[in-house]
Amino acid sequence: MADDSEPGALDEGTENAALGEALAAEHAAVWGYGVVGAALGVEAQPAAVASETAHRDVRDQIVLLLASRDAEIVPAEGGYALPFPVLSAVDAAALAVVLEDGTAAAWVRVLDQAVERSTREFAVGALSAAEVRAVTWRSTAGQPTVTTAFPGLPES
Amino acid sequence: MPPLPTPRPPGFSRRTLLAASAAGLAVLATGCSSPPADEREQVTSAQADGLAAQVAVQQTLVDAFTAAGTADPALAAEVSVLADQAADQLRRLRAAAPGSTASAASSAGAPPAAPETRTWLRDQVAAAATSHAAACLDQSGARAALLGSIAAGLRGQEARLA
Repeated sequence: MADDSEPGALDEGTENAALGEALAAEHAAVWGYGVVGAALGVEAQPAAVASETAHRDVRDQIVLLLASRDAEIVPAEGGYALPFPVLSAVDAAALAVVLEDGTAAAWVRVLDQAVERSTREFAVGALSAAEVRAVTWRSTAGQPTVTTAFPGLPES
Repeated sequence: MPPLPTPRPPGFSRRTLLAASAAGLAVLATGCSSPPADEREQVTSAQADGLAAQVAVQQTLVDAFTAAGTADPALAAEVSVLADQAADQLRRLRAAAPGSTASAASSAGAPPAAPETRTWLRDQVAAAATSHAAACLDQSGARAALLGSIAAGLRGQEARLA
């Protein structure tokens, strides 16, 4: 994996490592939406299902890409630690925001590390889709600001 | 169990991104022939020009928010957060492209009166997002990350305005 503390030239290795991190984030999102869906009301189920399906599709595209390069394919974990208890529909929407923000950060990382134009195109598409979903979930969660200027970029 | 991925991976800061971009472009602007400390941040003249062009695109969007607010004061109040975010994006782009000038910005034209102003503004946001996303493909490293992030943020704004 590329070490960001000692930056060097970008190559297919840095790109594949970042894609591996994105794959791990997508695995987590797919798992997390199972939790989200279980805590949401009936009216919000379609949004959760659509979000999970979107992450499954992106996950599968990463797997195909890495497999075509004979690069390491990170497997999904059996489970993940939740950042907070999910006891209500609002909690579920807040968890969905965490999932989307997590994948957004991974895709910004891919943009930073990629060498292939096609990979950047893939990444910016996945990043934009994650932010659009996040806007919906922030609204559902009742967050005061539903848009963000720099999805996936650290605050400092 | 492992934790869910955090939105902020360690060792990858916005400040680092912007500092790296500025350093790379500064080397280009001064014509320094020695390689920069961070080889990743070498930038071609086409990439520098491309980033400067996106500053102009963002300036046009910021101007569009102002024009829309004048045409529809109620909308101005509703989208004040979005306008602030667009202005913040412009500041970041300028910091990453120190050689850019505001004079290169083009006009988005006059917005229609309410209630059509909102749709007009949404179209301006969408156009800027499309432009930044396309420009991102021809950049690399921190510049690609910044443009891609801004494009995504504007897609979120577009959804909010829908």
